Amino acid sequence: MAMIEVSHLTKEFNLGALTSVRRSLANAARRLTGRTVEKRPPFKALNDVSFSVERGEVIGIIGHNGAGKSTLLKILSGISEPTGGSVKVKGRIAPLIEVGAGFVPDFTGRENVYLNGAILGMSRAEIDRKFEEIVDFSEIGQFIDTPVKRYSSGMQVKLAFAVATAVESEILIVDEVLAVGDVAFQRKCLDRMENLINSEGRTVLIVGHGIRQLERICSRMILLRHGQIVVDGEPGAVSKLFLDETTLKKAEGALTEGPQNLVPFIDSKVIEVTSLEVVGDRKLMDATVCPLMSDLHIKLTINALHPVRNAEIQVGLHSPEMVFMTKSSTLTLPEPVNLEPGLNHIGLVIEKLAFCPGTYGVGVTVFDWARNQIWSGHKLRWVLVESTTEQAAKLPTGTLAYLPSHWDLERSEAS
Amino acid sequence: MLNLIRNLYQSRTLLMTLAWKNVALRYKQSFLGIFWALLKPLCLMVIFSIVRSFVGIKSGDIPYSVLVFTALMPWMFFQESTSEGVVSVTGNTALIRKVYFPREIFPVIAVGTKIIGLGLNLMIVLLLMAWHHIPLGLQALWVPVLVLYVSLASLSVAFFGAALNVYYRDVAQALPIALSLLMYLSPILYPLHLVKEKLLVQEIAGPFSEWYYRLYSVNPLVGTIDAFQKVLLHNEPPDFASMLPSAFVLLVLFPLSYAYFKRAERYFSDVI
Repeated sequence: MAMIEVSHLTKEFNLGALTSVRRSLANAARRLTGRTVEKRPPFKALNDVSFSVERGEVIGIIGHNGAGKSTLLKILSGISEPTGGSVKVKGRIAPLIEVGAGFVPDFTGRENVYLNGAILGMSRAEIDRKFEEIVDFSEIGQFIDTPVKRYSSGMQVKLAFAVATAVESEILIVDEVLAVGDVAFQRKCLDRMENLINSEGRTVLIVGHGIRQLERICSRMILLRHGQIVVDGEPGAVSKLFLDETTLKKAEGALTEGPQNLVPFIDSKVIEVTSLEVVGDRKLMDATVCPLMSDLHIKLTINALHPVRNAEIQVGLHSPEMVFMTKSSTLTLPEPVNLEPGLNHIGLVIEKLAFCPGTYGVGVTVFDWARNQIWSGHKLRWVLVESTTEQAAKLPTGTLAYLPSHWDLERSEAS
Repeated sequence: MLNLIRNLYQSRTLLMTLAWKNVALRYKQSFLGIFWALLKPLCLMVIFSIVRSFVGIKSGDIPYSVLVFTALMPWMFFQESTSEGVVSVTGNTALIRKVYFPREIFPVIAVGTKIIGLGLNLMIVLLLMAWHHIPLGLQALWVPVLVLYVSLASLSVAFFGAALNVYYRDVAQALPIALSLLMYLSPILYPLHLVKEKLLVQEIAGPFSEWYYRLYSVNPLVGTIDAFQKVLLHNEPPDFASMLPSAFVLLVLFPLSYAYFKRAERYFSDVI
């Protein structure tokens, strides 16, 4: 029996739904006199969405801004009413409310725990029982009796997360909450999420942008686009498709960083990168296609306006979320690199590109003799690592890279 | 109706917690705290007493100030609970967009927490009565029923007003004006028996006098204010005849108002 059953769910919004009294009266008058009512075209935030979730599944819902993720969660948790279709939910839903939504700044941490607990549907006894655990997890300690308005924003977030995950519910809904707090706390939150999922067998729905994080903890992913489900399936495949889409979406003008112009974010006007080329036979939109496990050739031309002695050039590949997968530096060369006035042509080969299929950006940084950055830019070019169908069938998903490895299998008779 | 009671019972923890939040928040960091609830009717009592010294309003054997204060007690409750009730939904935007629970909790809390102020004012009435040697009789047992009656009137306004205010914020703007008109249409400044005398005995409006009186008492506060004065100050039972028109109206209005609220509730998070 499915925990959540969503069928043909549609949600329409009237754009700018707040009408003035004047227009409403005018419309009412038109309706009474039988004339046509002034109508605005509805916007479909969700368009015929159907899926079902079994007990214990962890579903990640991804999509660009405005794809309908939050609308979907709102309807699931009963906050918003669907325009069409139906939602059946079995069991109690705990919404992980946005940071501080239920917090009253004038109340102490203790008071807010009780308040937020009640808002999330916990009984008084339940909160009493969980109180110690909540305070422990949130690391608030002695500040529990201080008004929340004196807390740092990080402390507020921690407390909110601690209360929300203390709710004993069959279904947990998480919206963009993982990207809060310091790194250590994020780690702790992720661990807690995984604990909740693994040990208690809860059904979890997560919405977010941190695709790699989601990929790690989800058992299934749903990609939404313009209110419709594009794919619903195994996390690795879905997140790959999403990341490709993210890169290729540039054609629609969604990404402002144009790939063709070499705009650095650090530029001391000592040098300029006049061309950067990723060599490949094929291009998909703006990305150069590089088959998995083959060599990647990058050609770089630097125009030095002033001579730069003993320079260092770094070229790297990063994921769309700006995680660098690899960087190569000219410091590893036996001779120092001197950039002379005029055009300097530099070539680089990254051997046997063993990255998880997907899209990667090219980043270039140039340092002077004192290791100060004099030119640096990201997302200058895009590389699409592509696997053959044969490879795709054999390679495991849920990883970032495939380092060369060797297996050694032996048999011996059991004694 | 049963739906309302069931919903409130099911979310009783939340109801109590939010009510406590409402009360605590209002008086946190304020020196006079809850006594602000007393200051308003006391001021009005003084003003009305001064006005009365110019125009001369017969108050019978009860001192005018006591009469006025007893009338102000339910009036202040009605005024404050409706004003807060109407903005109770729009004032909780953050919660409404993030969590679902029965939304009627908000108007109910707005009205319910005002009972504390009413209780304090009742203390003042009792003190005034003791000061003026007015004995308290058994008829005072009607007080809880009367409080419930005014609460229903407040809720009728609050449910409808709160829901409508989500779509048109004009409601919250218009309410204070309507309330200040209603104050003079209620027997606060003047006792009800003066109205009765003019309309029912002297028949100043001719043959329609009785209808005018019925129309006047459609205002639920007319009968209740008079009833409060009767049961507390005169130890007489309430005058049910003057409450009948408003009882009919409330009987229709309250379920309608609640039904409208529940219908509008589904779209709160979309429009708020």
